Amino acid sequence: MLMFNFFSPAIALLFQEVTQGRLAVAWEKAQHPDLSKFLTIGALLFIIGVAGVLTRRNIIVIFMSIELILNAANLNFIAMSRYLQDTGNVNAVAGQIFAVFVIVVAAAEAAIGLGIVIALYRNKETIWIDEIDILKW
Amino acid sequence: MILTGWEAVFFWVFSIAAIFAGLLTVMARNTIHSALFLISALVSVAALFILLHAEFIAGVQILVYVGGVMVLFLFVIMLVNVGSEERGSEEIFNRPRQVAASVIFCALLVAALIAALNNGYAGLEKKDADRIQAAADENRIRDRKLPKSATGSSRITTDTQRMGGSLYRYGSLPFEIASVLLLVAIIGSVMLARTLKQEAAVDDVDPGVLQEEAAHDPELAKVQPEPLA
Repeated sequence: MLMFNFFSPAIALLFQEVTQGRLAVAWEKAQHPDLSKFLTIGALLFIIGVAGVLTRRNIIVIFMSIELILNAANLNFIAMSRYLQDTGNVNAVAGQIFAVFVIVVAAAEAAIGLGIVIALYRNKETIWIDEIDILKW
Repeated sequence: MILTGWEAVFFWVFSIAAIFAGLLTVMARNTIHSALFLISALVSVAALFILLHAEFIAGVQILVYVGGVMVLFLFVIMLVNVGSEERGSEEIFNRPRQVAASVIFCALLVAALIAALNNGYAGLEKKDADRIQAAADENRIRDRKLPKSATGSSRITTDTQRMGGSLYRYGSLPFEIASVLLLVAIIGSVMLARTLKQEAAVDDVDPGVLQEEAAHDPELAKVQPEPLA
C-alpha cells in the first residue's frame, strides 16, 4: 500500500497519458492509418533491404534484399498515388504506372543477375561475396 | 486516404507480417528459408496494395514476383552449393565490425526517415485537410453509384480500368521500351548462363582460350562448331 502511495503520482500521470495524452492520440491514429503509416512501412522495408545488402555474404540473399528495396519503393509510389487520388485528382494513377515499370525492371534485373551468379559459380565455385575479389586491387 | 474499421486491422496485420518476413529474409540461415520469407513479405505487400485500391499491381506482384522471379531464385539456389551456410560452418554475415557499422547506419537512417516523415506529413495534412474531407465524401458518393458484384457483398471498382487507360494513353512509349528491355534480359541471361562447351558449339569462344581449355578437357576438343545455316 505504501508502495502504491509512493508511486501514485506516477500511476496517475500514466493513467492521464493513457486516457488523454500521447498514448491515446497514438491509439486513435493507429485505428485510422493514413499516408504516413504506409510511408513508414515502406521506409522500414527499405532499411531492412539496405541492411541485408550491407551485412550478408551470400550473393543470392543480397539479390533478394534488392527485391525488398524495390518493393518498398513500389509501396511508396502506390501510397502516394492513392493519396493524390483522394485529394481530388481522381485520375492520378501515375504512381501505379511507375510501379508496373519498377516490377518490369526488377524482373529483368533478377534474370540478368541470376545469370551472372550462375556464370560466377561455374568459374569461381563460390557465392560468398568476400571471396569474389578479382576486381579488387 | 484514411483507413477505418477492418481495413485498419488488415493494414496492421499485413504491415507487421511484411516487416517480420523482411527481417527473417535477411536473417535466415537457410537460403531457401530466406526465399520463402521473401515470398511471404511480397504477398503481404500485395495485400497492402489491395488496401490502397491498386488491385492490378497486387495481381501483377503475385504473378510476376512470386510466380516468376521467386521460382527463378529457388532454381538458382538449388543449382549452387549453399550447404556450408546451412550447416553453420560458414558465417552468414560479414565481419562483426562491418555488421555493427551498417546496423548503426541503418538505425540512424530509419530514425531520420521516420522523424522526417512525421514532420512532413503533419504539414501536408494541414495543407490538404479540407480537400481530403471533401474528396472522401465525393468518393463515397461515387462508390455508391458503382455496380454491385455477383455476390452483392462488394462493388465492381474501375481502378484497374483507369490505370490501364492511363498506361496506354500517357505511357505507351515506356511500355514498348520495357518490352525491349525484357527481350534484352531474356537474351542476356541465356548468353550469360552458357557453358564453355555450348559456347564452343556455336563458335563463340576465343581460339586461344579454347585450345588452352581443350588441352585438359578431351570432351571440349571434340566439339566442332556447327556451320551457320
